[in-house]
Amino acid sequence: MTIPVELVNGPGRKNKKEFTFSEEHAPEDFHDHLWELEAAGELVVQRVPEPYLEVPVKYGRTKKVPIGQTWHHKSCGQCGHIPGYSTSIFWVNRKLGIEYNDPTDQTSCTAWNYYASATSNQAAQACVAMRNFAAAYESDHFPIIHCGTSFGHYKEVRHEILTNAKLRAEVREILASMGKPLVMPEEMIHYSEWFHAMRHDIAKHQVLDFSKIAVTVHPACHYYKLVEGDAIYDPEVYGGQRTAIVTGLATALGAEVRDYSTWFDCCGFGFRHILVQRDFSRSFATQRKIKRMKEEADPDVTLTHDTGCVTTLDKSQFAAKAQDKDFATIPVLSEAQFAALAMGAHPFLVCQLHWHAADYKPLLEKMGIDHEKAWAEFEEQCGRLERNEAKYLTWEDVDSAPVEAAR
Amino acid sequence: MTGIGAAFKLEPKYPEVPYEEKARLFAEIKADARYDDYLYGCYECGICVAACPSARYYDFSPRRIAQAAAREDVELIFEQIQEDIWDCSQCFSCLRCPRGNNPGGIITIMREVAVNNGLDSAREALKGYTRIIYKIMSTGTQVSPDMLQADAFPDWGPTVAATSENLELWRRALPPDTHHTTKTGWQISTKTLVELYLIWHKTGALDLISELDEGLHSLLEEVMEDLLEEEGYEL
Amino acid sequence: MSDTVVVIGGGPAGIEAARNIADLGMKAVLVEERERLGGTPIFESYAALTPHFDDAEEAMDGMIAALAERAGADVRTNSTVTAISGEAGDFVVTVDGPSGSEEVAAGAVVLCTGFTHFDPGRERQIYNYYQYPDVLALQDLEVMLKAHDVRVPSTGKVPERICWVQCVGSRDRNIGNEYCSKVCCGVASKQAIEVRKIAPDSRAYIFYIDMRMYGYWEQQIYWPAQEQYHVQYIKGIITEILEKQGGLIVRGEDTTMGRPMEVAMDMVVLSVGMEPSEGTKTMAGVLGVEQNKYGFIEVARPPLDTVSTNREGIFAAGAALGPADLEDTISSAGAAASKAVALIRRGSPAVV
Repeated sequence: MTIPVELVNGPGRKNKKEFTFSEEHAPEDFHDHLWELEAAGELVVQRVPEPYLEVPVKYGRTKKVPIGQTWHHKSCGQCGHIPGYSTSIFWVNRKLGIEYNDPTDQTSCTAWNYYASATSNQAAQACVAMRNFAAAYESDHFPIIHCGTSFGHYKEVRHEILTNAKLRAEVREILASMGKPLVMPEEMIHYSEWFHAMRHDIAKHQVLDFSKIAVTVHPACHYYKLVEGDAIYDPEVYGGQRTAIVTGLATALGAEVRDYSTWFDCCGFGFRHILVQRDFSRSFATQRKIKRMKEEADPDVTLTHDTGCVTTLDKSQFAAKAQDKDFATIPVLSEAQFAALAMGAHPFLVCQLHWHAADYKPLLEKMGIDHEKAWAEFEEQCGRLERNEAKYLTWEDVDSAPVEAAR
Repeated sequence: MTGIGAAFKLEPKYPEVPYEEKARLFAEIKADARYDDYLYGCYECGICVAACPSARYYDFSPRRIAQAAAREDVELIFEQIQEDIWDCSQCFSCLRCPRGNNPGGIITIMREVAVNNGLDSAREALKGYTRIIYKIMSTGTQVSPDMLQADAFPDWGPTVAATSENLELWRRALPPDTHHTTKTGWQISTKTLVELYLIWHKTGALDLISELDEGLHSLLEEVMEDLLEEEGYEL
Repeated sequence: MSDTVVVIGGGPAGIEAARNIADLGMKAVLVEERERLGGTPIFESYAALTPHFDDAEEAMDGMIAALAERAGADVRTNSTVTAISGEAGDFVVTVDGPSGSEEVAAGAVVLCTGFTHFDPGRERQIYNYYQYPDVLALQDLEVMLKAHDVRVPSTGKVPERICWVQCVGSRDRNIGNEYCSKVCCGVASKQAIEVRKIAPDSRAYIFYIDMRMYGYWEQQIYWPAQEQYHVQYIKGIITEILEKQGGLIVRGEDTTMGRPMEVAMDMVVLSVGMEPSEGTKTMAGVLGVEQNKYGFIEVARPPLDTVSTNREGIFAAGAALGPADLEDTISSAGAAASKAVALIRRGSPAVV
């Protein structure tokens, strides 16, 4: 990004070529408080396991992202309704030969419900978060959080635990009754940060050419707005003026990222609206987001990195199209699925695109994927299950399934 | 302010209550430990409104929420608890407030008070939502694959019907071991669920919904007590 | 006891302080880091000064010429103060200049190192200053106004619609600048008047939180801007500046009317606030004087003493003390000069 201020450059004006954050203007780093409480024996800090990568966040600071030994804090919306999302996250880890833990000792963060209905309270929310962190700690794996809302809410909880001694004591006591310690991870890591940190490794394993693929990016509100600190801002992406998340990965995969004017707007999810007042979610998602993207950027796909955003942007398009046949739809993927496809993942066995609503077939065609053949392969595998030749599809099945369709 | 918002507006049919009752509700909002962190003062600059998705479609303004709270206008705050708070999208775009206010966070607290006190607005807003509360509190995951039913999501197109018809098969066709579930998002161990139930009990989160929906409360209480007793916990 | 006062910084405050010191019969050594005097009005190419529309260069040249007539004023350009020792009345100030390092005996020091403009890259609203050529800061427009040639950078055309966005980097808890920068409302209004004079067919808008033009500025700038030049004042701050079809769209809430707005503009000027200059922050360290949380120099005995720092014999003036307009700057320079001279005359530190 070039900085055009030289157009108005005064004689003595030493305009910077680009903007850089400096530590001087940084707000307090939560780590200071974290280390103090650890030193006082108030809580245990789970360290980011080595090896880790360091990614830039605001104010010239960096954040450690673990490569492996991760504890995958799953998302209910992903696992429940877009299962190709979490499957792709795992598949990319496996493809890169990285060890991880997919726990059953994990609950939802319950924040979707909390932001939808408020049928909970501060202490319950904090206990749910800290119980999950303790479970990760006990398994000696570091939490990596799949859902943007979980990530944002856990940052809220972290702030409250660090600053509210009364809450800390209450949560500690409840966890102790279950025999669990009070543990805070050194960093809160969203899975998309892992994809950003690993983007060059992922690109090394790329088998499809994405240089003809145009994408738009929707950054998730709860990733970077809800508790502003420690989200990735990379000087190499948007000059560090916008979060680099998703865009960094898409660019590394050779795709063309196109801008549109409503990128800051939310998707319309609304938490309760998506469940019981969808006229709002649908209107917002289609009118403010999809329509604008189409008019201004005409992408082949829009990428995002959160459960609610994929759901709202994807599912809302059917009704808009039903109402107006000229409404031009855009396929919606998580960047995890996009990366998996780039690495040769099967569109149905791995990315599970048949759970998506907006038409993704033209995208697959542009990527050079024979979706008819791929679907036949998926049905063949389902046939095995139906004939009780196997109970479940396994990773081995996915790895051995013909991938020619994806070449 | 006018707009299509009016069509979506919750029915403003709530009973008038004495001033003392409104003051009590506001005192409950203010007593929340997060309140001081969420409200400083309001410039009326409109930054929160311009960033707010709900303000585009409803007669809703995060600025009015912050302003009413800053003025401690008990009458207006009561009106907002009954009419406005459920319009918020909880996206927290309003956190760009130069004063450091968190209008979305104030609304979270106001909603909690509305639920805790079983106010009409909470009952109205959460009509049709109670099955979700049941799901999250009883299973530990918010949405489950078997919720994808064509009659529940007619506007999401034919994918939903295809999913629900093939649900059991398609869940088995997922490589991660934890994903073969249909009633929960993923497989959760019994020990984990027991711990979650203990949290709902010990933090008062379960009691919180008794004012909102006594039937739901009893049902959840029963489910939880059964499991906890089975696992050797005396409540 | 030395009869010399070292003045650091050759902008309006420093020049005025040095001149007063010389006029009061003492010697002033004026140390300026850059190659010439004049400070921010010169180096940032200010056009007309607020509120009287004097030509900034002429005004500064006048101040500099007047100083040159004072035999008691010794101007050292390309020079910096690198160390200080001793106490009030008997300081030894190390001045590094083109001909090497020199130790200057001084009875007192006046710090006049001023401010810098807030960098819009730190703004938490989405203004895209570094992305869009047609989003400017106040000082960028000053360059154009000085040339009497206001054009949209990307097109080279005279703007038809131009707006100012107030409080950029000021009054913001999240940025950490909780203060009002005092001058931006006046400067933006002054600029709007100048633009309307240069481009009479243009429409000018100012988006604000509160318009703050105290005392006579009301009638000197605010009323003329509204009544003679038809500058439109809209209460509501812009949250986003976006590019659309070659032009800019500003998005915000018109809070008076209670409605969202998305307005097309050719050019947007960010009314950036004041922050302590690098010189102010560095010199505070060298001199060992206290700074407030924003980095400006802290006065030790407010409100009745507006220029004394926590270190006896060291005074500060102008925007080194915090956001200040030119009138405040000149006044505090006079106050600092008189207190410095008084200290030397009395032969002992000030009696509180």
